[in-house]
Amino acid sequence: MSNQLSVVGKRIPRQNAEDKVTGAARYTVDIKLPGILEGMVLRSPYPHARILSVDKSKAEKLPGVVAVITSEDVPEKLFNISDLLPLASDPEASGIKRDQRIFTDKARFVGDAVAAVAAINKRIAEEALGLIEVEYERLSAVFDPVEAMNPDAPEVHDSIKGNIAWYQPFTTPVGDVEKGFSEADYIVEETFSTSKQMHYQLEPAACVANFDATGRLIIWSPCQAAFILRNIIADLFDIPEGKVRVITPHVGGGFGNGTSLRAEPICVALAKKTGKPVRLEFTREEHSTATETRQPNIQTAKMGVKKDGTITAIQTKLISDAGAYITQTIGPTNASVRRVLQLYKCLNLAGEANIIYTNTPVSGAFRGYGTPESMWVLEQLVDIAAEKIGMDAVEFRLKNHIVAGDSSSNPTILVESCALDECIKLGAEKIGWKEKRGGEKIGVRRRGVGMAIMMHVSCTYPIRLEHTSAFIKLNEDGSANLLVSACDMGQDILGALAQISAEELGISAEDIHVVSGNTDVTMFDAGQRASRSCYVMGNAVLRAAGEAKQQLLVRAAKMLKVSADELEVKNRRIYVKEKPDIGISVAEVSKAAIYNFNGDCLNISGKCSWEAKGNPLPFQAVFAEVEVDTETGEVTVIKVVIAHDIGRAINPMTVEGQLEGGIMQGIGYALTENCVINRDSGVLESDNYTTYRIASSLDVPETEVLIVEQPTPSGPFGAKSVGESGLNAIAPAIANAVYNAVGVRIKDLPITPEKILDKLITMQG
Amino acid sequence: MGKQIAKFIVNGRDYELLIEPNMTLVEVLRDEIGLTGTKCSCGVGECGACTVLIDGKPTLSCLTLAMTARNKKITAIEGLADGNVLHPIQQAFIDHGAVQCGFCTPGMILMSKALLDEKPNPTRADVKKMLAGNLCRCTGYVKIIDAVLAAAETMRKEGKK
Repeated sequence: MSNQLSVVGKRIPRQNAEDKVTGAARYTVDIKLPGILEGMVLRSPYPHARILSVDKSKAEKLPGVVAVITSEDVPEKLFNISDLLPLASDPEASGIKRDQRIFTDKARFVGDAVAAVAAINKRIAEEALGLIEVEYERLSAVFDPVEAMNPDAPEVHDSIKGNIAWYQPFTTPVGDVEKGFSEADYIVEETFSTSKQMHYQLEPAACVANFDATGRLIIWSPCQAAFILRNIIADLFDIPEGKVRVITPHVGGGFGNGTSLRAEPICVALAKKTGKPVRLEFTREEHSTATETRQPNIQTAKMGVKKDGTITAIQTKLISDAGAYITQTIGPTNASVRRVLQLYKCLNLAGEANIIYTNTPVSGAFRGYGTPESMWVLEQLVDIAAEKIGMDAVEFRLKNHIVAGDSSSNPTILVESCALDECIKLGAEKIGWKEKRGGEKIGVRRRGVGMAIMMHVSCTYPIRLEHTSAFIKLNEDGSANLLVSACDMGQDILGALAQISAEELGISAEDIHVVSGNTDVTMFDAGQRASRSCYVMGNAVLRAAGEAKQQLLVRAAKMLKVSADELEVKNRRIYVKEKPDIGISVAEVSKAAIYNFNGDCLNISGKCSWEAKGNPLPFQAVFAEVEVDTETGEVTVIKVVIAHDIGRAINPMTVEGQLEGGIMQGIGYALTENCVINRDSGVLESDNYTTYRIASSLDVPETEVLIVEQPTPSGPFGAKSVGESGLNAIAPAIANAVYNAVGVRIKDLPITPEKILDKLITMQG
Repeated sequence: MGKQIAKFIVNGRDYELLIEPNMTLVEVLRDEIGLTGTKCSCGVGECGACTVLIDGKPTLSCLTLAMTARNKKITAIEGLADGNVLHPIQQAFIDHGAVQCGFCTPGMILMSKALLDEKPNPTRADVKKMLAGNLCRCTGYVKIIDAVLAAAETMRKEGKK
């Protein structure tokens, strides 16, 4: 089928790239409005403290200060900054609690917002912050989730003993785990921990807000879910949704950090108070403390296996650290439990999770959303089990992974398609598994190979709202405007949607002008999360374009005096299938329909409101070769082979880019990234690129990206997702490779030289 | 600290500005001149997003006091293209998928320019080393390195700089 596609499957460069390489692209902080004020936020220097009083009088008097606001000046409502609140049918029952305010009543982490200033420039705003006098009553703080679970621990939220924000059992225990374990020949049980990873996209959070002369609120924000932002702000400030417009300028990265509200509530509050446009730009340090991170997990997993490699039972328990507020931690927590239980065939499953409050910066959504955390656990446990029974790690996975028709990550859906066998076999061959896995590892620098697999999702069906829309209209020149609400944070979703619609309409990708980023113009979409956009929006776009195509064919049929089902459209031309010489250009038909003097006017268009009713899971196999220096403990990633079950790559260049980017975030997750929180002061000490090390170009290994295409029935042209997947299996593949190299297994992220050396010394001693 | 008049030569144009002595070059470019292509991401000179060229040399504009850049030839990203004709490096970034969110892109491109000025025929390792101070969170660097090597080849063929 692929050789019949003209646009889908092509390596087409992104449409807005000229803007980005010339500096013309405008991001939120580049927005200039006349009279714009600069906002700044006063944040608690203490991890846990009651706020007894806030005196803003001195700050207000500083020349150049236009307003100082505190909790008295903003709605008192409790809310939840994450986009999950409107996307869940019963939020309170789903662990999505309203537990935070715009300005807090009690500081629950270093960085919790207390007050804010709007001034004519940043220097004056900063000086004004220093003049706000806050009386704090310091309280004992708790930073470790296990300590926080103690009934005597300080209560981060009053009256929540043991700081249990939410308890989540695995909702549908399957079979009988005790029976399953009794049938096992071997039982392996290990406890792993994951790190508090920060997104560190290059654009720090920011917002511009302005109430126009009619009282309508306009917000410019790099938020990943414009309509959800509109919903939450409208609710928070009691403004009808129709009076709020959200504009999404260019966005400098997201990775989930933008799925929650960040600078918007305070920026809107300042704009409301001053009656002027306000820009609120977080510093890098502020972005580090005051926006969400990946949640740190402590996860125990237990697996029963028979000598022949059959898995008889899997059980998992998870403690998830939400930080000071729960936001959307339930999402990745759920996924962290489920994915451990349902990537391999097994009849006996059980799991549970506790989400714990601590006095630390907030956890929430980060690319992978529980999959990187759970694969860290599962894929090491599987290697341990395979070694126990003397089975090769590749063979064990080939034998046990789920396949099409099996039940998947959610009990109510079945696996639609799975190309894992091909991914595993191809990856093993490319890394040189047979040649490199075995044999004696000697010398100071030792090499090893390891693998990991993963499954992810292509949307959130059936758990969250999966509503999207698309509208397309033809122009007189045969080009089309595609109106969609999709945040392009670098993943070029707009390009993919242009390719899908162009393929359907029989025109070129460059003929599609994508209009996005303005909630006044486009219809609803639930937001860019869960790697959902290509699958869900792609399906809507396909149908909208299909409707427009039908109108085109009917109109062309009239003009050509044939019947519509004789016609086909390709290369910007509509022609009779059996007699291609008889035809007319798309442009001519579109124009003649608009400028029609026969009483038959029509602007050819198509519209679709769509809901996902399925969720084809993408799968992947990662193979890593590492070199471990036994004298320093340093790990160098030599090569990564990533084989991704994409269904169909709408744009292979974009797919590669997503995987390559994910690999480097995965290497950071594996080796260098973690929040360092001072255990006395609660201060986040790793709050800039100097102290929080993300991968640089020097860390790039030899990389081989393998796109495995087995089109999935419900995907647009067979596509599944890729956006988050590049990151998910990297860390366990590296951990397994390190074990292969030097016999040391690190179970706590990140894998640091100190941890490896410690273990090597213990082994020798 | 009173404001002072200073002349800046940015992308071949003269600007006479009234600025405070403690203003950084990135503030002057973005806020005083209105060239927002140069980005500020960390403010401590660690990420490279604020890279501009001063007399051809790559410089972190967030750590540069504007006054020290007076009367020097500053190239910000807006000045790299020749009118509507993109520089080979810019074109290569587009063609090779080296641009995702684009926030690191201006600094990355100008650093690449400085690299190729110094080494017109770099190895992959040369490129990785020279770009180590320009952080990117989206691309994983692979296509950026591909683009720089491709641009180098184009520039050598066309005898361009």
